[in-house]
Amino acid sequence: MGRKLSEQSSTIIGLNLDTYTYLDSSDAVLHDIQLDIHPGSLNVISGHSGSGKSTLGAILAGLLPRHGMDELVGSIGVGQALIEFSSSSTPRVDVAQWAKHVGLMPQDAGHYLSGIRGTVAEELAFSLENAGVPREQMQRRVADLAQKLNLEHLLERHPQRLSGGQERLVALAALAMSEPDVLVLDEPLAGLDKQATAAVSEMINLLRANGVALVVLVDSVGIWAREADELWRLNEGTLHRISVEELLQPSGQPPRKERVATDAEVLLNMDSVQLAYPGSTKPAVNNLNLQLRAGECLGLAGANGSGKTTVLKAIAGLLKPETGTMTLSGESGLLLQNSSDQLFERTVLREVSFGIPKKSALQQRVPEVLSQLGLKSFAQTHPYELPASARRLVALATVLIHEPKILLLDEPTEALDEAGEAILNEVITSVQARGGAVVLSTHDEQFMEPTADRVHHMQ
Amino acid sequence: MPRTISLHPFTILAIAVAVVTLATAASQWWLSCTVIVLCMLLARWAGYLKKLAVLSGAILLPTFLSLLLIHGLISRDPSPAMAQWGPLRVTVHGLDVALSLGLRTAVLVVVGLLCGLLIDKHQLVAAIDLSPVPPQLGYLLAATLFLLPQMGDKQRQIGEAQTLRRVGTRKGITGWVQRVRLRAVPLVLASMQDAQDRAVHLSARGFPATGARTRMRTVPDSSVQRGIRWTALVCAVLGPALILALAQIGSH
Repeated sequence: MGRKLSEQSSTIIGLNLDTYTYLDSSDAVLHDIQLDIHPGSLNVISGHSGSGKSTLGAILAGLLPRHGMDELVGSIGVGQALIEFSSSSTPRVDVAQWAKHVGLMPQDAGHYLSGIRGTVAEELAFSLENAGVPREQMQRRVADLAQKLNLEHLLERHPQRLSGGQERLVALAALAMSEPDVLVLDEPLAGLDKQATAAVSEMINLLRANGVALVVLVDSVGIWAREADELWRLNEGTLHRISVEELLQPSGQPPRKERVATDAEVLLNMDSVQLAYPGSTKPAVNNLNLQLRAGECLGLAGANGSGKTTVLKAIAGLLKPETGTMTLSGESGLLLQNSSDQLFERTVLREVSFGIPKKSALQQRVPEVLSQLGLKSFAQTHPYELPASARRLVALATVLIHEPKILLLDEPTEALDEAGEAILNEVITSVQARGGAVVLSTHDEQFMEPTADRVHHMQ
Repeated sequence: MPRTISLHPFTILAIAVAVVTLATAASQWWLSCTVIVLCMLLARWAGYLKKLAVLSGAILLPTFLSLLLIHGLISRDPSPAMAQWGPLRVTVHGLDVALSLGLRTAVLVVVGLLCGLLIDKHQLVAAIDLSPVPPQLGYLLAATLFLLPQMGDKQRQIGEAQTLRRVGTRKGITGWVQRVRLRAVPLVLASMQDAQDRAVHLSARGFPATGARTRMRTVPDSSVQRGIRWTALVCAVLGPALILALAQIGSH
């Protein structure tokens, strides 16, 4: 992935942060951070969910501190300018001007797009339009950028009808339109299939080859380790430099999987099943044959749009097969891909109890499930105030409370940090141990490979 | 494949405003019917006839029924009754009033819907952006037009999640009310969160523009169209005044 910097070059952004404290918080979320970014460098910052990565990214991008609200003590040098922050003075930052030096792509790239333009070309030109750039010049710049980043095939597409990978490509290109010196990318490859990962990685390489410095924020360093010029871990509010060697040390033997007994009870049987969404003329899944036995963990793999989520929804009862037969033994519970759609209440405790009658025996299980998922201390917290990983676990708790015989997980590792993944693994093992079964759909092969007993590839 | 009209969106809107105001002020059944028929013919040419008929029907049927109920059946109008069932009486005058109001409403609805179908929404937003109005107005309209369908998707996702938790699964009207109540709060919260998430990035992309702004999209316009717009607006303002004045003179 690109080239490594052979020597130190001049700093294009320098952060010297003493403390950063959010409004209404007495403790600093970040402290004692010194970070210098050099042209064309790849800087990877890893950290668990809630460690402050996104806060750090937003500070670098000039989106934080919020004027008159949060407190930053320290200084940031961007280009020739040095901006000093102190407890008594927070200079007002012109984010549009700042974005010409540092751009931020959020984890949900769709949030970077305006959502109100009819074509990708117009979306790319959005910042130029706001700057009053003449039309002919805009057209030329959009065409040039699209050619440089191999994006010409998408220019006339509707921005809201793009796949997840394409959306990230467009967001990256829209960021590059302002020709920033630094791009901060929050989990740029999370949740993408192989093809989309390759396309986004290629664009990142192209940007880097053009001299753009990259700050990549990730839960785990993974594929970035060998390519990074600087590797950092954000832990307990501060940055620690880490080495590639440290990361590549073998982490011991993976646990041996126990074979599922061939005479174990069949919990799910799908025979020549065809699935389609209401109003759709084309089936989403055709002629699917699937069997799931008690104690088994089945992985569903396949490119975006291959029907993995559709199969999970059908097993959960949200979709009825158009043809074929599906038999199910016991209740199923589905963890949806987007946790935010699954949370409705104002505290974690109420969230997990949502929909359960007050006199139901399941109410007794709420504290137990919260403990199992390490959420006991968050019982009275609003789910929206939790770090993404904990929010994902709350969504999982809302499923586990019903003790489903078949646990269905749609991209379960998305937004989960390492600690969250460990808890998820324990949950999967416990479902298998009590005679249940798990079906999980994920692009995360590193998780799927040791976890699933077998993998079904969707076409 | 529906045909498109390559007129400036403001031209279509100006003509529509003129037609509606004139037909409303004239209040002649034949004029209202002519406007509706012309709209249907135009919709047929453009390939939107079925859509226009269905949408108009959905709005106008209950409107006509309520007007008939108010003016045609329970009118206190003293004119002789054509038929009577207890307190319900049908009078010629009542039917006349109901029909007249109904046709005027129909002109407004059919012309308005046809505008909505004929005008390209992106062209309309671009036209507003290129006009001297504040940029926030264009965004507000665009967000309403384009983000509402996204809210529809979000609402469906919330519904699915609640069904999975065995909530909001009752049938009938009570079930519908329960679902609306249960989905409303998460939908509003999610939309607010979404707006907040987008806002910071819009600012970073220079929105709203502090100086002159441009648009990459071109909105075709001409001096002839500008002339039509001015004429239509003059007709929309002076036409009803003239009709009302003539009616006043005629009544004396």
